[in-house]
Order: sequence, then structure tokens, then C-alpha cells
Amino acid sequence: MAAEFEPRIVAFLCKWCSSAGADLAGVSRMEYPPNVIPIQVMCSGSVSPLYVFSALSHGADGVLVSGCHPGDCHYIKGNYYARRRLALVKKLLEYIGLEPQRFQMSWVSATEGVKFSQLIYDLVKELKPLGPQTKFRRNY
Amino acid sequence: MVSLDQLKEEVKKALSSGKVKYFIGYENIGSGWQVRPAFIRQPEDVDRLVWTPACFHNLVRFLHDEKRRRAREKNPDIRPVGLVVKGCDSRSINVLLQEKYIERNDVYIIGVSCELTGVINITKLNQHLNGLKPQKVLFGSKGTFKVIVDDREIEIEAPDILADRCLECPANFPVIADVILGEEIKRNPGNRYQSISAYEKMALDERWSFWQQQFSRCLRCYACRSVCPMCYCDECVADSIAYAVTAETTADEKAQKTRWVERNPELSENIFYHLVRAIHLAGRCVDCGECERVCPVEIPLRLLNKKMEKEAKELFGYEVGFDPAQPPLIACFRDNDPQDFIR
Ligand code: SF4
Ligand code: SF4
Repeated sequence: MAAEFEPRIVAFLCKWCSSAGADLAGVSRMEYPPNVIPIQVMCSGSVSPLYVFSALSHGADGVLVSGCHPGDCHYIKGNYYARRRLALVKKLLEYIGLEPQRFQMSWVSATEGVKFSQLIYDLVKELKPLGPQTKFRRNY
Repeated sequence: MVSLDQLKEEVKKALSSGKVKYFIGYENIGSGWQVRPAFIRQPEDVDRLVWTPACFHNLVRFLHDEKRRRAREKNPDIRPVGLVVKGCDSRSINVLLQEKYIERNDVYIIGVSCELTGVINITKLNQHLNGLKPQKVLFGSKGTFKVIVDDREIEIEAPDILADRCLECPANFPVIADVILGEEIKRNPGNRYQSISAYEKMALDERWSFWQQQFSRCLRCYACRSVCPMCYCDECVADSIAYAVTAETTADEKAQKTRWVERNPELSENIFYHLVRAIHLAGRCVDCGECERVCPVEIPLRLLNKKMEKEAKELFGYEVGFDPAQPPLIACFRDNDPQDFIR
């Protein structure tokens, strides 16, 4: 029997909130699926649309961008810029025909270890039935 | 009606008074009806100028060349360049001003109103004429085009052969100009996002198969980038051979450059290029339609641009190209920007 499909999720986590939230989940020994590849960035506002496209083209089955809640950004406004820019990216990807589940954004604060682990459970659950992402994948 | 004599007069005035360095307008190609950009340097050359429904080129793009030329020259002539602009073209000047790529006095603008018509789409014209060869294509009276075929005059209703962008144009007269020719008559654009509504309604997989087919045909000739008044970067992230290299660039620096997109026109790279192109033009594209017009394989680029234009308007209330003083779309935000998609 073939092994069950395990999606690979590339997660861009901001250093000040979401990364710390993921860390908290870790040090608190909360369990969550190992499908996520965390990449720490300085701010969600530093996530260029190129990062997202690049992750998809390198074969990510899902991409997550996570930052501080509005009002809590370490750089005051970074997450507001991210919200606007990535809303456009999401609309564009879906317009081209990418499943909406494959690109997600979240606000996770440094104290929300529980939220982070639950989020990863949910993402994995949503991505599994979609199978591997082959649309944007580089395959030569 | 825009009077050609008046246009020539204005250009002559600007040139002979030394107000402008040179003037860019349109001229006929040979004795035919098609036109090309004309660079007018002497007042006596103004008779080359024409203004016809085939003047679809957006001349604002030439300001990039001028800016580069100035940067190269030791003692550049900093007088403004004169341009003939339509409504859409004028909005692209506003975006360049907004991004501080140019200053207002770098350009002397003669705006022409499209009144009840606009520019034509050659494919539509040919279909309409059903094999007949036009000799002249002119503006008619009251929202029609006058086409001369076999020395006969045919009157065509504007919407039958208007370019798609004109049918969805939000303002068919110049929004910034030093001189405006013609009347400010607003043509009703109807639904400004008509062209994309069918694609938005498609099922996800249908959309994917449509775009997959389109993108797989792209040759990556970058004609769409060359012609765009907004694509002025010296380096293009979507093109690994366009890195700016000077005598000081070391081999190491060249090797370290991130290559986001590979050069080969494979589907995955083409998609990447087009995603980047669309997102980098979001809130900047004025829908002058030039990219789609020049594409040798007829990829419907306007459908991407228009989608971004619509989302900017609907999500953020942002209109492109009307106000040179407003901050660019992604360089600003509102506290209540929508975030229902964020978990
Ligand atoms: S979309 Fe058309 S114009 Fe642009 S690079 Fe591809 S083939 Fe060339
Ligand atoms: S993307 Fe196309 S329609 Fe938009 S400004 Fe550039 S050339 Fe014009």
C-alpha cells in the first residue's frame, strides 16, 4: 500500500511573533505534524511575493506567511504592508487556478503556541486531500 | 474633434520657442494607414505628424530612454521632452510622477481627447472588413470611424472595432496635460471589468487549464516588458540575464545574484515570470493595453492586469493614475484593509 501523501508546507514566520510562537509550541512540547518547514524572516512585511512564487516553483504543497497581529508589529507597520501585498498575491494565484488552501496567511503572536500547533494541524488536514502541488512546480 | 492643424501648431510653437528638446508624436508608415512614433526635432517637420485611430502606441515609454540618456551625458540638455498623450497614456505619466521616476517639468504634454471613440484594434478592423484592405482609417463624426477602402468610404460604429482597453477605459481624456486638444466628452465605459468576468466565474480547474495553455506559449521575448511605460527597472528580477553589470562588478557578485526565474521558456518559468509581471504592475498598470498588443503569440495579458486593477479598487479603493500625489498602492495601507483571509 502506498504511504499516505504528506504535504510539505513552507512557512515564512516573522522573527518577533510567529517564530517565537512556533518556538513556544516546541518548548512547551506541544505536538504538531512535522510537515512544516519554518523559515524565519525579520518581518512579515519583508516577505516578497517572489518568496511565495519561488516556494511554489520549488515544489511546496502549501505556503504559509505568518506575522504579528495588527498593532503588534515590531516595526510598527510591517504586517499592514504584508496584509495588503499578500492579499493581492492570493487573489492572483487563485485567478490563475491555484487552490486557495495552498497559500495562507495567519497572525500568530509569541504567546500563541497553541494557536500555531492547531494551525499546522488544520493546514495539513486541508492540504492532504489536494495531493501534491504540481501546477507551479519546476520539473525539468 | 481634435484638429490636426492645431496639434501641428502647438508642436511648432513648442519647438520654435525652444521650450522642448524634441517632440514625440505619430506619423504614417509610408503611404499606408498604419502609424509609428515620430521624433520631431525641427519646427518645419511638424507636417509629418498625424492623429488617427491607429495611434495606439503609448509614447510615455520613451521617457525611460531619455532619463537614461541624461544620466549618461556629461552636460545633458535638460529641457522637457514633448509628447502627444491619450487618456490612458496620461495616466501612466501620473504613475511615473507618483513614483518620482520623472519630474513634472521633464515632460511637456499635449493631451488629445479620444472623445466618443478611441483607438482601434487591428484584428477587429480586419475581421470587420472581411479581407478588404483599408487605405485610410480616420475619425468619423459622432462616435464612428471612417475607413477608406477601394476609394469608397465606410462608416463603422466605434464599439465594433475599438480596442478592448478603450471599451473599458475609465477616463478617455488626458488627466494631466499642458495643452488639451478636443473636447472632454466622457464615453460611458459600461462595466470596466467586463473582460475578466467570464474568467472569474470559471471553475478553478478550468481557469488553470486556460492559463496553462496561455503561459505555455510564452516565448519570453520580453516584448511586453519593453513596451510597458511602467517597466523602467534597470534590473529585472524576472530575468536573470538583465542584471546591471558595471566595470566594477566582480565575478563573485555576478555569481551570487539570486536567479529567481530561469531563462528557459518552460511552463514553470513562464508562470513565474507572468506572476511577477502581474504583481509588479498591480496598482501601476494603467491599462494602456500595449503589452497585449505587442505580444507575438497573443497572450491575453490584459486579463491579468485588469484583475489586479479590479482587486486594487475593490479591496483598497485604489484607482491608478489619477492623482500623482497619492502614495503607491503597496506603499500604503489602511487600518481597516480586509483581512478575512488571514487566520
Ligand atoms: S507574454 Fe508575449 S510579449 Fe511577453 S514575453 Fe511572452 S511572448 Fe513575449
Ligand atoms: S502592463 Fe501593459 S497595459 Fe499595463 S501599463 Fe504596462 S503596457 Fe500598459
